[in-house]
Amino acid sequence: MAVDVLTLSIVVAIYLLMIVGIGYYGYKKTKVAEDYMVAGRNTHPVVIALSYGATFISTSAIVGFGGVAANLGMGLIWLTVLNIGVGIFIAFVFFGKKIREAGKRLSAYTFPDLMGKSYKSPFLQYVSGIIIILSMPIYTAAILIGGARFIEVTLSIPYETALLGFALIVGAYVVFGGLIAVMHTDALQGAIMLIGMSALLLLTYIHLGGVTVAHTALTNMADLVPAGLAAAGHNGWTAMPTFGSPIWMTLITTMVLGVGIGVLAQPQLIVRFMTAKDDKSLHRATLIGGPFILMMTGVAFTVGALTNVYFYQQSGELAITAAGGNVDSIIPLYITQSMPDIFVIIFMLTLLCAAMSTLSSLYHTMGTALACDVWGRGRECALSLAANRRGIMIMMVISILVAFLLPGSIIARATVIFMGLCASAFLPAFVNGITAKSPCIIGAKASLLAGALVWFLWTVFVHAAESSVLGLSQFIFGVPSLLGQPWSACNPLVIALPVSLIVMVLFQIRHNRRMA
Amino acid sequence: MFGIPDPYIWIAYLLAIGFAGACVLYGLLNWNNGDAEHGS
Repeated sequence: MAVDVLTLSIVVAIYLLMIVGIGYYGYKKTKVAEDYMVAGRNTHPVVIALSYGATFISTSAIVGFGGVAANLGMGLIWLTVLNIGVGIFIAFVFFGKKIREAGKRLSAYTFPDLMGKSYKSPFLQYVSGIIIILSMPIYTAAILIGGARFIEVTLSIPYETALLGFALIVGAYVVFGGLIAVMHTDALQGAIMLIGMSALLLLTYIHLGGVTVAHTALTNMADLVPAGLAAAGHNGWTAMPTFGSPIWMTLITTMVLGVGIGVLAQPQLIVRFMTAKDDKSLHRATLIGGPFILMMTGVAFTVGALTNVYFYQQSGELAITAAGGNVDSIIPLYITQSMPDIFVIIFMLTLLCAAMSTLSSLYHTMGTALACDVWGRGRECALSLAANRRGIMIMMVISILVAFLLPGSIIARATVIFMGLCASAFLPAFVNGITAKSPCIIGAKASLLAGALVWFLWTVFVHAAESSVLGLSQFIFGVPSLLGQPWSACNPLVIALPVSLIVMVLFQIRHNRRMA
Repeated sequence: MFGIPDPYIWIAYLLAIGFAGACVLYGLLNWNNGDAEHGS
């Protein structure tokens, strides 16, 4: 550790006091279910933008994907292109306004509630809720594990204590303060993340001699790419991998498309649009959202790749070697070794903020899905604060239990799995539901089930990263993956999303012809 | 460009910065558009 634990503890304590204060503000402002579920549909644009961004960006996006950029290079910046182009611009300008309008018109309180009411189908609300409460605890557990490991290392607290403390502190302000507390704490956390990532970029370029000098040094390291990575398509850290190679497939299908498109169908982000008072709030939020994400993933991926220059200049090693082969350790190691103490503290706070902002939103989304969409089937959405509070507490306990059961190496994988499943199952039916004049309910059910089923089959029997771990393909067919390269490296989303999209479009066309 | 020889990388940087700029421009141009609906 480069910094004094006592100093860091004092800074964290001050930060937690501010979080508690905002949580209390949320509690006092929450009078009815609409306040608790959609923050009274009257949230300030700055809060919407920072909350959306901070929820979007978890520790995994900064540390996990930053480490991946150190390993695979700047090609990951294509994910930033999609993060901003799809995750902010298309999401806010095209989808956000329709979601806000539909949410208000249909008095929808959650993503499954909106889905069900768009199609006038309690079944769709129920199934969407079920998918959320089955898949989201894995992603939530991954965030919990990442946060607890981070607290364990930085504050020297035992892992189990760190996990429980982290889970309960965040749980407390979500349970009592609802979405008003969640979004306002997100905004504070987003502001701290912006300061931390801006300083990281600036100090990195200063340290490495300027923008062009740093990039040129990285370009000149191309002949140092390990033989195994070079054989798999790696052409250096400032070049794209060879088209169609295993690294290209992983980079483009799993990282860029899997996460870049997956963001459009994440329930915890979609509900943010329903908190806006009017379209004007969303227009203003767009202004902040784009640059915010650029400063998050753009900086993480650029600095991640440049850590190779730093470690090579310091010790003659590549970043992955310096980190002992652990991709997740590259960014923290780079920070603690290269940055001044004060920045190490700011960056650690940045990571804590990233974890807390994502975790709080997941708690809220899971808990309200359980109470409002699965147990209450809509009845409890508008009626009971207590039911939703109980729902959040139950899902919090389940997530903690899952976190104790899952292996620590699951963090980045769980993020990709969750986003892939959400997009494959929900995206075509959801977009159709809020845009079509007369949305086809049979088509939505078929699209949702086809997307989820194809995603599941491809994950279990083809995509080697998961199928080889799950072992079902090996057990039944005697091979870890039913198809060879390049298909075994192709992310399930790239296959499942077109299938669910085609199913939705075909059913909707048939429906429109019948209605005409 | 800026020490990055592969156009597929620097084009991605230009697009990322361009989209962020488009978000800013869109926000500024529509700053006062889309007030709350009357009667809703």
